[in-house]
Amino acid sequence: MSNADQSTDVSEGSSGDEYAVSVPEGRGRDRDADGAASTIIESRDLSVWYNDNQALQSVSMEIPEKRVTAMVGPSGCGKSTYLRSINRMNDLIDAARVEGEMLFNGKNVYDDDVDPVALRRRIGMVFQQPNPFPKSIYDNVAYGLRLQDRTENLDEKVEEALRKAALWDEVKDQLDESGLDLSGGQQQRLCIARAIAVDPEVVLMDEPASALDPVATSKIEDLIDEMAEEYTVVIVTHNMQQAARISDKTAVFLTGGELVEFDDTEKVFENPENDRVEDYITGKFG
Amino acid sequence: MSGSYDGFGRVSRRIGKLFRGVLFASTLAGILTLAVLLVYVANDAFQPLTADPGWHLVFLLTLVVPTLATGWLSYRRSYGTLATGLLGIVMPGIAALYAGGLAALFIDVIPTLVWLSFVIALAIPAGVIVALRRTDRSVPFLAELSAVLGVTVGSLLVVPGLVQGLPTVPADWMVLVLTLGLPEAFLLGRWIEGRWGRRDGWIAGAAILVGSAVGGVVGMVSGFGAVPGVALTLFALVPTGLYAAIVVRERPDRRIGLLLPAVIVVGMVAGELLVGALGFAGPESWVDWSFLTSTTQSGDPRSVGIYSGIVGTILLMFVVAAIAVPAGVGAAVYLEEYAPNTRFTRIIDVNISNLAGVPSVVYGLLGLGLFVRYGGQPTGTLLVGGATLALLVFPIVIISAREAIRAVPDSARQASYGMGATRWQTVKNVVLPRAFPGILTGTILALSRAIGETAPLLVIGAAQVFGVPDSWTSTIGAMPLQLYVWASTYASPAFYTTVLAAGIVVLLTAMLSMNSIAIYVRNHYEQR
Repeated sequence: MSNADQSTDVSEGSSGDEYAVSVPEGRGRDRDADGAASTIIESRDLSVWYNDNQALQSVSMEIPEKRVTAMVGPSGCGKSTYLRSINRMNDLIDAARVEGEMLFNGKNVYDDDVDPVALRRRIGMVFQQPNPFPKSIYDNVAYGLRLQDRTENLDEKVEEALRKAALWDEVKDQLDESGLDLSGGQQQRLCIARAIAVDPEVVLMDEPASALDPVATSKIEDLIDEMAEEYTVVIVTHNMQQAARISDKTAVFLTGGELVEFDDTEKVFENPENDRVEDYITGKFG
Repeated sequence: MSGSYDGFGRVSRRIGKLFRGVLFASTLAGILTLAVLLVYVANDAFQPLTADPGWHLVFLLTLVVPTLATGWLSYRRSYGTLATGLLGIVMPGIAALYAGGLAALFIDVIPTLVWLSFVIALAIPAGVIVALRRTDRSVPFLAELSAVLGVTVGSLLVVPGLVQGLPTVPADWMVLVLTLGLPEAFLLGRWIEGRWGRRDGWIAGAAILVGSAVGGVVGMVSGFGAVPGVALTLFALVPTGLYAAIVVRERPDRRIGLLLPAVIVVGMVAGELLVGALGFAGPESWVDWSFLTSTTQSGDPRSVGIYSGIVGTILLMFVVAAIAVPAGVGAAVYLEEYAPNTRFTRIIDVNISNLAGVPSVVYGLLGLGLFVRYGGQPTGTLLVGGATLALLVFPIVIISAREAIRAVPDSARQASYGMGATRWQTVKNVVLPRAFPGILTGTILALSRAIGETAPLLVIGAAQVFGVPDSWTSTIGAMPLQLYVWASTYASPAFYTTVLAAGIVVLLTAMLSMNSIAIYVRNHYEQR
């Protein structure tokens, strides 16, 4: 496990009755002034099974557009499963079965007429372990564009994506070198550049910083904050403080695949409605 | 407890020690037996003791001592330096071996004009594909596919006849320079351009092209032969020069390692000159030029040669690779990437492993039944033999290719699918490139298994063939068959200790060289 995870556990565990996690004030994105953002993703009674094990229990939630939505909860609570059911990555697992609806821009992505490949071109994904291809930095970023035959002005698009991922200045002289020669944090930002190069509407992040050191983690967090200007970000994290720092909305899943609380981040961390959530975020269990 | 030390006692290890001793002895027994046998065979084949003591002394001084000294110095510098030197001598040796095989192919089996006509016939559709890619992408897929297929079939039907009917015929070496030298110059030039810059790429490309032409002309004039001249230039000299250039430019710390191959070559030439000058007779080796190039078969070991076996084996390997590799790799990709996890695929899984263990004589009978009885082919031909051996290595290729594909980390596939890649795009862009070194290694090892197979070829009726094949449907021999015939039909004590040993050396050299390529490829890519 990474440093980030451990530090969370320690601070939460030692905090007693006080809330260990505080939500920072006065960040770039004003949470309330904008009013309610429109919903881009909505699940209705979504349940997922792996063979006979139910991983999600009829989860309903609305994810706002151009906001950061965090999903927290203990291991095995179904938060990653939920994330992967948004862009139908669960389809790749033979044993997975989905019931209920997952609406993206009002359309159920599990309808028969939805092509999961086309869907994934509009919903980008960043994984827990940085996984650049063993190709050059340039080819990594250009991968998605080439898949879609969008190769006009490729150089500019690659540069733009690397700039947005705050990586351009570090790699602009070594675009031909392998993406695997970068440091772990740089690799993860390369993966983010790869995901946003095709201009998706949503970027899903599955614990994107849990394999990184604290410095690299904070760079990724800054980046996520900026990304929310343009994209809807849905992020799964083990790290409570991270969720509090970067997200506008927080969903708390608890064991058994149950969504027990979903609200503004501030509300969830400072005044949760559900006692189990309060116990979880103050570190009494989980 | 009193607290005073009264001894822990001892635990007996007698049985353990005995067990260890037995294991060590059995290991040693196996390896030693093999080593003694190989020394015996090598002694029979090369007859080193028939040489003058002076001959040994000369080569000891010019070759062995300097080589050992240089090797030791390189090793003292670093292990990598020694490895660079060793590769510098082994690689050209193996490359020359294969260049020779290729030359034999063009001399005996494929007339250069026929080769040229088919290269042109295939270059035309390739050009059409490139042109279609470059220009309008809005051509519907099916129209594009049918156009390409149409051009390919039409060109294959018409062009070979046209080219072969030309009034003036280009010389052999011109054809090879055009069909092999030009692509090699282009590819290596591009590669060097990406590595060292535009100017060097052009220089290298031009040097390769001119060099191969010079090699052809020199070969023709000197009587060595135009075809081997071009082949050796393109596939032995050029790779060697490139290797030396890469070491000099990119690994200055290992530059000194190149001294080793230089010392060996100089030592051999100097030794040869000295021996000639001093009048020392060399060993009466059975592995000599006439043995390698003679096709004669008789009861007299002096006149016997293995040439037809060498050519037959090379051709068989071509046919085996052409059939077994695409089919085997294709099956592996299907089973790993596409097949659903059903009872049916699990049954296939188990059965492929079983097929790999089926005795080779059964494959021979299968080939006989399938291709000769039902297919109506004559016995013992190149195609039947190659197809039968392909059946034999097919499961091996599948298994090794599947292992290579399975070793591609799942995170790489996830990354590709997450970007909205289709399965085909993921296989093409991510899975196959990463699995390629492993697939190549497995394929070479499978071929090196096929190279030594005798039983299936005997069964399909290729036992008594000594001629050099001249077409795809002519009957064919192979190196292991040649050995079998010498050990049975011509069985006599004289044969056992002479040409048979020489044949074994040739066969093992071919096999070990293939294995060493496979091992090199595997290690090279594992370091990445």
